[in-house]
Amino acid sequence: MGFRLYLIKRLINTAILLVFVIVLNFAIFELLPGTQGSIANLIQNPRVSPDSLRHLEIVYGICSGFDASGKCIPASVWTKFTVYFTRMITFDFGTSQQTGDPVLYDIVNSGRLVNTLLLLGVSTAIALVIGIFLGVIAASRRGGLFDSSSVVVSLTTYSLPTFFIGLVFILVFAAILGWFPGGGVTPSTTEWIKGQVPLTEQILVRMKYLFLPALTLTMYFYGGNLLLTRATMTEALTEDYITTARAKGLPERTVLFKHALKNASLPIVTNAALSFGTILSGAIITETVFNWDGMGSWLFKAIGWHDFPVMQAVFYIIALCVIGANLVSDILYGMIDPRIKYE
Amino acid sequence: MPFWVVRLKNFLATLLKNKLAATGVVFLLFFVFIALAAPILTPYTPSRDVVSGRFDAPAWISSINGPTGYSQNLAFSALSANQSGTGLNVQRSAQTATSVDLTILSAPQGGIIQVAETLSYPYLGPPKWMGGEAKFTVSGISGKSFVVSGYIERVGEYKFPVWLPTIVNRSDTYSPHPSIDSTVIAFNQQLGLNSNFDAATYIFAPRKANYNYVLQFTLPPGFTGEIQVIQFSLILYGNTWGLFGTDSQGYDITTQLVYGARLSLIIGLVATAISIALGLVIGLMAGYLGKIVDEVLMRFTDMLLVIPTLPLLIVLVATIGPSLLYIILFLGFFGWMGFARVIRAQVLTLRERPFIEAAKAAGAGTGYITVRHVFPNIVSLTYVSLALSVPGAIVGEAALSFLGLGDPNTTTWGQMLGRANNAGINTANLAWWWIVPPGLAIAILSLSFVLLGYALDEMFNPKLRKRR
Repeated sequence: MGFRLYLIKRLINTAILLVFVIVLNFAIFELLPGTQGSIANLIQNPRVSPDSLRHLEIVYGICSGFDASGKCIPASVWTKFTVYFTRMITFDFGTSQQTGDPVLYDIVNSGRLVNTLLLLGVSTAIALVIGIFLGVIAASRRGGLFDSSSVVVSLTTYSLPTFFIGLVFILVFAAILGWFPGGGVTPSTTEWIKGQVPLTEQILVRMKYLFLPALTLTMYFYGGNLLLTRATMTEALTEDYITTARAKGLPERTVLFKHALKNASLPIVTNAALSFGTILSGAIITETVFNWDGMGSWLFKAIGWHDFPVMQAVFYIIALCVIGANLVSDILYGMIDPRIKYE
Repeated sequence: MPFWVVRLKNFLATLLKNKLAATGVVFLLFFVFIALAAPILTPYTPSRDVVSGRFDAPAWISSINGPTGYSQNLAFSALSANQSGTGLNVQRSAQTATSVDLTILSAPQGGIIQVAETLSYPYLGPPKWMGGEAKFTVSGISGKSFVVSGYIERVGEYKFPVWLPTIVNRSDTYSPHPSIDSTVIAFNQQLGLNSNFDAATYIFAPRKANYNYVLQFTLPPGFTGEIQVIQFSLILYGNTWGLFGTDSQGYDITTQLVYGARLSLIIGLVATAISIALGLVIGLMAGYLGKIVDEVLMRFTDMLLVIPTLPLLIVLVATIGPSLLYIILFLGFFGWMGFARVIRAQVLTLRERPFIEAAKAAGAGTGYITVRHVFPNIVSLTYVSLALSVPGAIVGEAALSFLGLGDPNTTTWGQMLGRANNAGINTANLAWWWIVPPGLAIAILSLSFVLLGYALDEMFNPKLRKRR
């Protein structure tokens, strides 16, 4: 079986997953009692004209049509689902009950998606670099003081809930020391909003706002990388080619990072992509703690407003991101590892 | 000694030899003790009983930072009733700590009756809040009116009026207006204080002094009647309280912590039990039945594994409604996938072992083999997974509660942190005692389960076992 067939199989798998997510979303939001999607609130709104309501009822798959007296003929679950499926595939999430804007606009055009990706990208990158670096050193000094202490520390930071780390950071670095702002993405001063701040200062201020949430997520995430790197490196360091490299008189640094790490990196790379869902969960919490205006805090606000269209859209997009990350991890796995048999 | 006792003893001895496992067990026992003894450890109900002022620091902070600036809850006590006036004849009855009945039999030349309570203020910090009651009922007065007033006296120095002189001329129940409460603006204004200076700070100078809290009735000549003082009390709420202080509502944090341990243990264990049961059934079925059953079950497991759990739980709880039962059930229903995979893998290797084949050859059925031969060989995996999954459930619940999706009728550690986050942390509110204890509690409880799980894994997993 060649790489192409492997890829096609993975893509089919991804498509099945996508359908599964949509079914799940449909089951939660359209079938469970208590929610009737976005239409329920509209029906109670006296300002919506009967004509536009009828139009909406057709569009959202509540009615399959209207009889002579104008009464709604309820749509079957299947019709509802096909309508819902089309909407999800075309990213038509309706309008937010709270803001009145299209849901997609509130998530993408408002910059929330970018904010989330920025926070995620920065903290994941730092956590990977730090985790791998410390993991390599811990593995090379296995059993030593550095090794055991870094294992205990990363187990501890891994056990600390993100919201707790975040609150403590705000308490110490924002409230007591005043080094960093305690929340938000940018300052809310008029000069800032009007864009009268020079670019270099803008970057500096943005970094200041990014620092604490990114540090929180990094703290949460680096421990897993460290432990995994340490485990795979320990195994790699017992291989014969390492003995050969050392016998050649190569400097220890070259042996560790060029020879051992290269071969040990595969599980680390795939794990980074696979744990994307976990990081996203951490990001939702971190954004809420730091009032970081991204998808996570938007979801949190939607919970408070009982804004179901926003909730299902955010969940759907998050699930899409995770599925995408899984696909990327599968492809990377197929490309990096020459030993893989594409089964 | 029965065999299982010996086995248990050996098991415990091996387990406790591992230092990390022993640490985990000690912490675990500590939390279990707290959870069981919750009603004994604290007399209050979490998130219902206001015990002190808002944002009170822990009481022991004064022994670290020095006594300056700190105070604790105090109440005026030792109720007494004194009278002055020629020929005044007052009969006292039904006296309790906060009430007394006064029957004025005769007052030919009028007179004064004072109902008083005393307090010796011992702290070097002002009270955060004072709240008092001075309620009395008048009956059978002889057509004459009298004057009531109330004050707090710093003995030998000042009298601070807390109830301006008021005429009482009919049978009714009276209490001061504005009420004696240092958070009431009108009350502070009555003492001539502006909005950023309150009566508690003003009256109770932060030094040692004696105080009287006095309710005074000035009677005209010829007055007779009955005055029933129903409630006469004055409580000073300090700026420190208990072991861990109070939150933004004046609720005791220690109480919330103690009852939170109960909930966290219940949530963690029950949710994990559900996951383990589901994982066992699905893993066993997939592994032992194989073929199509295996394929279908594992595809489903993989799909659920990919779905991000926390967002899924968030939308589920937000749609169905926050209740402890649902949260536990959801945590259980979406936590079995990893365990099912482990069980399936183990069963696959077991299935090919000679003893299973022997059982098959002897004519044993699938159910019999599963229960008698396969199951005992995966029990140890179950212990390990149990210990390692509990932290996930505990932190998962805490995260949901933190986001405000916790059961409103309970107080969990996550809810405490969520409320602290909602109250906002800023330079004015540095309530670390509201954040650090629940956060550390979650972390330590999770960590002790992790340590226990790793130790069990090391004991049961032959690959990791050290040679003896």
